[in-house]
Amino acid sequence: MNGTVVKNQLIFDFASGILGPAKSLFASTYLQINSNASRISTTFENILGENLINNENIHPKNLKYTDCINSNSENTKSITNAKDPVTSFFGNLDNLDWKQVYKGFKEYTATIDDKDELKLIKMDPGVSVPLHSHGGKEYILVLEGSFCDEYGDYSKGDIQINDQKIKHTPIASKDTGCVCLSITEKDVIFFGKYGSFLNLFTFIKSFFKPK
Amino acid sequence: MQMIQEDRDEMAFSEIFDFFAPKINAYFIQNRIKSESSEELTQEVLSTVWLKSNLYDSKKSALSTWIFTIARNKKVDFFRKNSKINFKEEDIREFLYQDREVDLIEENEAKKQIEIINNELDEEQKIMIKMNFFENKSHKKIADELEIPLGTVKSRIRHILTKMQRYLR
Repeated sequence: MNGTVVKNQLIFDFASGILGPAKSLFASTYLQINSNASRISTTFENILGENLINNENIHPKNLKYTDCINSNSENTKSITNAKDPVTSFFGNLDNLDWKQVYKGFKEYTATIDDKDELKLIKMDPGVSVPLHSHGGKEYILVLEGSFCDEYGDYSKGDIQINDQKIKHTPIASKDTGCVCLSITEKDVIFFGKYGSFLNLFTFIKSFFKPK
Repeated sequence: MQMIQEDRDEMAFSEIFDFFAPKINAYFIQNRIKSESSEELTQEVLSTVWLKSNLYDSKKSALSTWIFTIARNKKVDFFRKNSKINFKEEDIREFLYQDREVDLIEENEAKKQIEIINNELDEEQKIMIKMNFFENKSHKKIADELEIPLGTVKSRIRHILTKMQRYLR
């Protein structure tokens, strides 16, 4: 599957309302800062709206239009949050308790109950990440600055999706560094009698990933 | 819709209700929500249409699209509230689907685009889009219902996504 199709899949799944919380936050941020993605999403919502018009009828048994007019407004709380999703969720990024992974590379992992892991990544200007590959699929969205790797340049609003096959060496822009939002689909976690042993094994193995 | 926005015309609303209520209700049931909850949700959607009619802008989107997005957001809310996942106080659902002000497509342009896409997709592809993205059925379920192998469903959906890419820009 090529990258564009995977990006569209993310947008379509978001428009359909079937993403988990981590990917929803990721996708809504993407649409906020990438006008092309936002347009694709609008088009797809229009297609789904057409589906609604042409949908079959299953008449509600106990509902009249007057019930809707007289309903209390409690359930229709409007969304008044004008901040962007990242700021609303994480607050001011400067105030976060960033964890330094190595010099010039910091990350902050969101506490969010989901099978996918949501992280912020901050790279100082010119810092690079050693060649690596990924356990699960990884989505990266540039929020500020830019980075480049063997596959291209990525700046604000650009998204990169990596699967296990991809090995790359990202380097943050010399002038600006970069801040990215990332999603990692978690590795398989083992359960059951030997689970903890297998998990320990995966943990140790992760230090010996092919370079 | 204008009559609702400007004159709070209840009769105009009742027409929108008559047309959309059974379709919205069907949407929730297709998304595997039980009928007592689906009716409650349908009521919430149409109450929102009535109470928040001032938020609708016909220049920005078709009425059906606006109503679909309200219904979808109610569905997301419903599943989150009923899921086993514990959400922290900092619940993110509040701001996931806010209005995007930037670069919304003009309605005419949107209509043209839908027309092109509709012409490009054959009946079976349209059914697959509906099953996958509107009714949110799993690929396995789609395979069972259409009586075709799972691999075929996956490759056809991939094909649709690739095909649509050409018209989405």
